[in-house]
Amino acid sequence: MAEDLVLDTAIRDWVLIPLSVVMVLIGILRYFVSKLMRSSQVPDLKIVKEGQVIVRARNLRAGANFIPPKSFRSRRVYFNNEENGLLFVPKGQAQNAQAQMFSDPNMAMDMMKKNLSMIIPQTLTFAWVNFFFSGFVAAKIPFPLTQRFRSMLQNGIDLSTVDVSYVSSRSWYFLNLFGLRGLFSLILGEENAMDDTQRMMQMSGFGFDPTKSLSAEKDGLDIVQHEWALPKFEHRAEVVLKKLIR
Amino acid sequence: MAGHSDSSSSEKKSGEAMTDVPTFSAENLQNNMKVIYYSRTFMSITGGVIAGIFGFTGFVGFIFYFLVMTITSIGLIAKAKFSVHSYFDSWNRIILDGLMGGLMSFVLFWTFAYDIVHIF
Repeated sequence: MAEDLVLDTAIRDWVLIPLSVVMVLIGILRYFVSKLMRSSQVPDLKIVKEGQVIVRARNLRAGANFIPPKSFRSRRVYFNNEENGLLFVPKGQAQNAQAQMFSDPNMAMDMMKKNLSMIIPQTLTFAWVNFFFSGFVAAKIPFPLTQRFRSMLQNGIDLSTVDVSYVSSRSWYFLNLFGLRGLFSLILGEENAMDDTQRMMQMSGFGFDPTKSLSAEKDGLDIVQHEWALPKFEHRAEVVLKKLIR
Repeated sequence: MAGHSDSSSSEKKSGEAMTDVPTFSAENLQNNMKVIYYSRTFMSITGGVIAGIFGFTGFVGFIFYFLVMTITSIGLIAKAKFSVHSYFDSWNRIILDGLMGGLMSFVLFWTFAYDIVHIF
């Protein structure tokens, strides 16, 4: 069963290398296109305000242990107070913000553009691979897999006695798809690689941002137990200064 | 591995042992995580090409991958001068992070090099 097929050298030259090169180039192209197409949207004042309030509350939570207990508590009341606390949003208003988020045409367009710019090159490349490079063995993967993967990996090959390690070009395409992510993050800097699933999830969670995160911050502030972290700080200062003098 | 430690940018101190409560500068911590990610990706690509050229098949190849990852971890720990806690918040970060992500790149370049060299 494990006979060694001898594969044509031309396959190496005309299938493997061009496919990888094309995928790398398309990735780079997509990166630059998305950079060019990023429309600058005028941010809504109310949303920016809420965002800043959230950032302040978060900073308060992060630095809570460095301010004296009394000032921490007074700040917390300022945020969480029932009537005029900044983080307290009555239920009526909450619904409004959501509806606004969804019907806002600019945001919807942006999301669609980003999704499209991700999906279209993948679909096109996949169709191209299927059209030109189907029906022959393209590569041999160096590790053995079980028979169940045969239908997935050996798509155009209709012989059932060929070892599962010999795969068609469709699986070479998928292998490239996943493996080049790392390469893109190295070349293009800072994870502009295509993390498909992660980005899809981020995009879908967009509309609910302001209202839920306000109440989340409020709860977070309520939970914080204040531990005064700098009680011995005069002693430490003394120790450090003594070391410097010596 | 001298080339490897030179290629990673300097790691910044992110933990200060100034009080009993450990505090971390989030920005520096993130920068350090990025350094780990880049190092691991680069090493998995290189390791993949080496594995393919040598002709490892099957299980041996995966063992080689974990060997390369261990060498990367040791290199990173040595660069952090063995005081991991002042650069990261836990041991797990420097050892386990980015392991699975690098695997895909490793397999791709392993397959590529193996095919080009051995089944040409």
